[in-house]
Amino acid sequence: MIQADSLSRSYGERWAIRDVSFQAREGEILGFLGPNGAGKTTTMRILTGFLAPTSGRASVAGFDIVDNPMEAKRRLGYLPETPPLYDDFTTREYLSFVARLKRVDRRKIGDAVDRAMSMCGVEEVAGRLIRNLSRGYRQRVGLAHAIVHDPQVLILDEPTSAMDPRQIVEIRKVIRGLRGNHTIILSTHILPEATALCDRVIIINEGAIVAVDTYEQLAARLRSSEKTLVRTARAPADLAARVGRVPGVLHVAPGSGRGEWVVEAALGQDVREHVARAVVEAGAGLLELRPLAMSLEEVFLKLVTHEDDAAADGEREGARA
Amino acid sequence: MSGVLVIARKELKQLFTSPIAYVALAMFFLITGFLFFSLIGVYTSQVLQLQGPPPSDFDPTRIIFSPLFQDVSFVLILLVPILTMRLVSEEDRARTMELLATSPVTSTAIVVGKYLASLALFAVLLAISAYMPLSLAVMGRLDWGLLAASYLGLVLLGGAFLAIGLFASTLNENQIVSAAIGFALLLLFWVLGFAQQASGSAVQQVLSSLSFSTHFSNLASGVVDTQDIVFFLSLAGFFVFLGVLALESRKWR
Repeated sequence: MIQADSLSRSYGERWAIRDVSFQAREGEILGFLGPNGAGKTTTMRILTGFLAPTSGRASVAGFDIVDNPMEAKRRLGYLPETPPLYDDFTTREYLSFVARLKRVDRRKIGDAVDRAMSMCGVEEVAGRLIRNLSRGYRQRVGLAHAIVHDPQVLILDEPTSAMDPRQIVEIRKVIRGLRGNHTIILSTHILPEATALCDRVIIINEGAIVAVDTYEQLAARLRSSEKTLVRTARAPADLAARVGRVPGVLHVAPGSGRGEWVVEAALGQDVREHVARAVVEAGAGLLELRPLAMSLEEVFLKLVTHEDDAAADGEREGARA
Repeated sequence: MSGVLVIARKELKQLFTSPIAYVALAMFFLITGFLFFSLIGVYTSQVLQLQGPPPSDFDPTRIIFSPLFQDVSFVLILLVPILTMRLVSEEDRARTMELLATSPVTSTAIVVGKYLASLALFAVLLAISAYMPLSLAVMGRLDWGLLAASYLGLVLLGGAFLAIGLFASTLNENQIVSAAIGFALLLLFWVLGFAQQASGSAVQQVLSSLSFSTHFSNLASGVVDTQDIVFFLSLAGFFVFLGVLALESRKWR
């Protein structure tokens, strides 16, 4: 659906992105994750034809964005970081204009606008001037404008910025509802959002792709050991030693909370059963036992901040637990 | 083509919902109305001084409307940059250019659509200004040929001015700066004619044939010459083309 082949873009001397390649399959939500200034917006602007790439090619729904921009743009909905709204139009007037601009069949414009408004929950402000809308509504009208022509590809640049938590939940519901019929690329620097919405995540930093994968795969790839969190009611003196003797366990360290321990085992080893038995036999009173997954935040930091030393890593994981 | 019309329609709607169009129209009619009034005063005093039958070159159209349209052309230098300053600058400021540029319309359609909308507003302005000759036509005979030539001149002049103003608007996202650039360009094309005395004959000829005032005064005195018409049309075309280039080049910057 979306294909990017070694896209590069320079602004004078500075390279905003370098050699970015990826593809988005039909019906998936692809997350673009990176710190501010990583090149997310530049990449999206190239995909939408707003900027031309310095080198490389990109195509949307099979149409090259430089060679065949009209066909590509017809199949594309784009919500920039600042929603492109005309303050002196009402919501309905604005969406009708966008529908005409996007070449929606004239007889279907009314229906298309109604559909987009109900999907984004902006019917109640249909007749209000956009100038008078709150930021949350502006953002939703922006989303409505991106989907009014029912595009095959949706590109959303930080769609949940400037919204309160309740609105964020609603917008995410809308975006999730669009999955399947649309291929969606969305950028965010909010990590839980990527986990909550995206099928796959592209992590981009300093203009280059650092990793592309599902979040689970990324976490798995970066893990150097299997970590298990154990919480006990009491802490007998020999507990750590007993657990440490379980075959496969490499290391036992106290966790951050009361009665918590982090048990480390070699990659691919499931020691939970034996650890549980050891804890019970020690009479410590097993309260909780669960595998420690890396949060996306940790994955992200690990990818973006080059080589972390293991100690700092362990600390973070302990802190999270 | 449909893209052009969609843009033009949106642009007209915005022009007439914002105060700028009304302020500009009011300013225009206040000034031209006063000029018209004072020129009628000039004419009246000349009539009162007449002794015997009027000489053959005594023509109300020439006495009232030729100087009036000369003055109007100067008022347009001030007015047109105000009409055109927001055309592209405002889209840049409000970030709505991102919508237009990522929609299935070409840069040419965007610029031409905006140009047509500003021409339509200008046509409204000229149409209303027709009250001046029409009010006199009730009372006397006017030289309609001269008036038609003058209005043709105003349409052509306005078309070229609007194209220059539109181009100026593509250069900057600040409306005031765009208006200032537009004003400077228009004034430059106007004063090129003044340089006639200052320079040698070859340069003089080039400069004066680039000047608005030379070509417009031909039309305003009733001489319809294809040379003047081609001048204004090609100037308008050239600056619309520059506007398209300015938009298109942004992708590569």
